[in-house]
Amino acid sequence: MAVLPIRLFPDPVLKEKASPVEGVTAEVSALVGDLVDTMRCSPGGVGISAPQVGELRRIVVVDVSAHRRGGQEQNHGLLVLVNPEILAMGGKQVVREGCMSIPDYTANVQRAQWVLVDALDGNGNRRIIESLGFEAVAIQHEMDHLEGILFLDRVVSVKTDLFRRKQYR
Amino acid sequence: MGHFSLSVVGRDRPGIVAEVTRVLFEIGCNIEDSTCTILSGQFAMILVVAHQKFTSVAEIDPSFEPVRKNMGLTVSLHMLKDEEVSREKGFTGRPHILSVYGADRPGIVYSVARELARYKVNITDLNTQVVGAKDRPVYVMVLEVDIPETVDMKELEREFDKIRKELSVSISVRPIEALEL
Repeated sequence: MAVLPIRLFPDPVLKEKASPVEGVTAEVSALVGDLVDTMRCSPGGVGISAPQVGELRRIVVVDVSAHRRGGQEQNHGLLVLVNPEILAMGGKQVVREGCMSIPDYTANVQRAQWVLVDALDGNGNRRIIESLGFEAVAIQHEMDHLEGILFLDRVVSVKTDLFRRKQYR
Repeated sequence: MGHFSLSVVGRDRPGIVAEVTRVLFEIGCNIEDSTCTILSGQFAMILVVAHQKFTSVAEIDPSFEPVRKNMGLTVSLHMLKDEEVSREKGFTGRPHILSVYGADRPGIVYSVARELARYKVNITDLNTQVVGAKDRPVYVMVLEVDIPETVDMKELEREFDKIRKELSVSISVRPIEALEL
């Protein structure tokens, strides 16, 4: 277990597509553990993807339970998603997002209100997860990283919507 | 290195940004920070620019003469002290959004801003518009503010309550919840 350095834009790894994980081996489990440690170490961090630590593999970790608003909504606690696929999505919500890979910037992004995700969990077991609200935003943001898409590609409005970030806790 | 604030205002039409930034590019100014918008049909630009060598307004200002003459834009430049220019935002409180709206009448912005200043609340963004039907104008103000940890929100609410009654406006306050991902 270790806290890994976060790759910062314009590191080209952030614009690349990640490859599927062949199986949840001990080595993959170790990476998942490092991702969890790295996410928890970042102030207010509620999600991370493997490309953000320079690993182009389809792994994301999300945990909104400690977030002020996310924790009040329905959530799954720590979610490890390996090779996640969105089966269905619906509704709309606009949420202000920040990204550890683009410090000091937040912007309003439009996301689906709910998602249905097919993924392997940290033990390699297949799970179908339905997620709503903030947790669903976190999943969509992290899954975008697997495609090399940043939240800046999805900003919906600039007028009064861009806010130079301080620390959100 | 010299830093300057640059503001440009003129009747809105396509090409203003292109002309102003062409001048900046040609004289070697970097745009460090900027915001531009349309206010009542006027395009308004405010920028912080930096130049490696120039350290006085006089070295830059003449380059904007053609823009002033040909496009009818008002261009003003001011020198900034290096120590006053910072990329650090330095906000240490709790970010909130305020919506204030009601029938248009004098004093709405001032009343709210006065109380915020009294509590040392920093306004980090502010947008006002008159909307609604011609004969029933509605004033809408949306602010982003940084409320110091030391401010008692209940006390601030009581001040807003006075403004609500006095000016018949609605005021809602909510924390900005950002997701750090």
